[in-house]
Amino acid sequence: MKRGAVALLSPAGAVFAAVFAIPAVMLFVVSFWSVRSFKLSPDVSLAAWQRFFTEYWDLTLYTLLIGISTGVLCTVLGFIFAYAARFRAGRHGDLLMLATLVTLFGGYLVKIYAWKSILGADGLLNQALMLTGLTDAPLAFLIYSRSAVIIALVHFLLPFAILPIYASLRNVSDISLEAARDLGASTTQLLTRVILPQIQAGLFSAFAFSFLLAAGDYVTPMLLGGTSGSMLGQFVLLEFSTRFNWPAGSAMSFGLLLACFVVLGAAGYLMRMALRPRPA
Amino acid sequence: MIWRIVIVLFLLFMLGPILLVVLFSFGSNALIGFPMGSLTFAWYRELLGDSGFFDAFQTSIVVALATAILSTITGTLAAMGLMRLTPRPARTVLAALSLPVLLPPLVVAIAIVVLFVRGLGVGLGLPVVILGHVLVAQPFVILIVMARLARFDTASLDAARDLGATRWQAFRLVMLPQIASALVGAALVSAAISLDDFIIASFTIGGGNTVSTFVWGKMRTTLDPSINAIATVLLVMTIGLSALALRLARYRE
Repeated sequence: MKRGAVALLSPAGAVFAAVFAIPAVMLFVVSFWSVRSFKLSPDVSLAAWQRFFTEYWDLTLYTLLIGISTGVLCTVLGFIFAYAARFRAGRHGDLLMLATLVTLFGGYLVKIYAWKSILGADGLLNQALMLTGLTDAPLAFLIYSRSAVIIALVHFLLPFAILPIYASLRNVSDISLEAARDLGASTTQLLTRVILPQIQAGLFSAFAFSFLLAAGDYVTPMLLGGTSGSMLGQFVLLEFSTRFNWPAGSAMSFGLLLACFVVLGAAGYLMRMALRPRPA
Repeated sequence: MIWRIVIVLFLLFMLGPILLVVLFSFGSNALIGFPMGSLTFAWYRELLGDSGFFDAFQTSIVVALATAILSTITGTLAAMGLMRLTPRPARTVLAALSLPVLLPPLVVAIAIVVLFVRGLGVGLGLPVVILGHVLVAQPFVILIVMARLARFDTASLDAARDLGATRWQAFRLVMLPQIASALVGAALVSAAISLDDFIIASFTIGGGNTVSTFVWGKMRTTLDPSINAIATVLLVMTIGLSALALRLARYRE
């Protein structure tokens, strides 16, 4: 029985090992190598990690901040949308989920390009603002800022938040809601004590997905972030490509992952505390 | 009433930017902005004549097709394997196999490059792109197929075996026809994931282009209006594939 399972799992496991597990281990090892005049040499050096902690700690914090903002926005907005699809849209619920899938598969680069066209100096939003006379010159701060990056990331990641929340909302039985209402629960109580505790897992996956993918992104800040909206991923890329400092890039990758898992741990703890059962 | 407004605002935010791109792919003005100019198919005609786009398109199709086939095989076998395990180890293995989806694609892509270029000394290229896509597509296949297998009645397999079918015959003649639509759905989702990926492809392709890396080249240099047309083509393909997959797999989550 067990043996059959191992055999069946081995092709997927082989792919996993060849292009993920072994490369990840190798990447980790490389973070301790040293690099001199663009030549990589196997070594046991902490230089790359030191560089991460001294030169990139502030950028890492900003990156986490963008990730957390995106994650929180996606989770809250995702909940509102999924709630509407599950309880308020009636027959149209499926249609809303179809719209979610369209957004999900709308094309990663295409979405960034679309936001660039909307928020740019001669973009649609500025045109609209000037046309309505709200401003007489294009607002330059719309694009190339941290908020532009967050808007585009929320747009890209909202479907990743909606889907797990909707999936767990579908498991919330109408009976439990009716029971709570019959027992005199207010709408707020219904939300905080009946619905939210039941969908904790979905809410956490929503936050985890949107936070992790936002914090690790580099294309969005590259095209929409300018200098004020830079993120660590761009510099990982820079260290790997132009500067040819693979150890630094590796240390930064793992440093970012480590920091992300700390944030996720804290988020999980906060969510459990906020939604724990309380005496009335 | 208030919910209706909320939903409309959401749909505007989610679909608006995508619809804009589609709309402007038919406008004669070079950039997104009003007035959009007259209706034209010029950007699409330009694409047809662009050999760079044509090559990229072909490459994308090859990669998506290979990814769909391979990840459906590895993912389906893994799903069948996971069904044989007890829930606890099954959850752990599934979580591990899903890890590549959760981590930044940048890190996954860089790790692949480090191993293949420095560790193994083999070059990059389409096989590496395909492997990378299988890696991120197979967790979705596993989830879809496991959802289908959970509703599958294994008694019919036992019956087939009792009546003298070999293991292979029982799988081929009894199980496969019943789960076929879920497999096709999973394959289509894999193809859509492959078509949409930019980061892994851009790192591991070595030379040449997929449609995504081709678009990237255009995005970096100028605001090229043919991007709108390419984006629309890509959109129709990925959304078409996933809508088809949704119908076939009847898989909502």
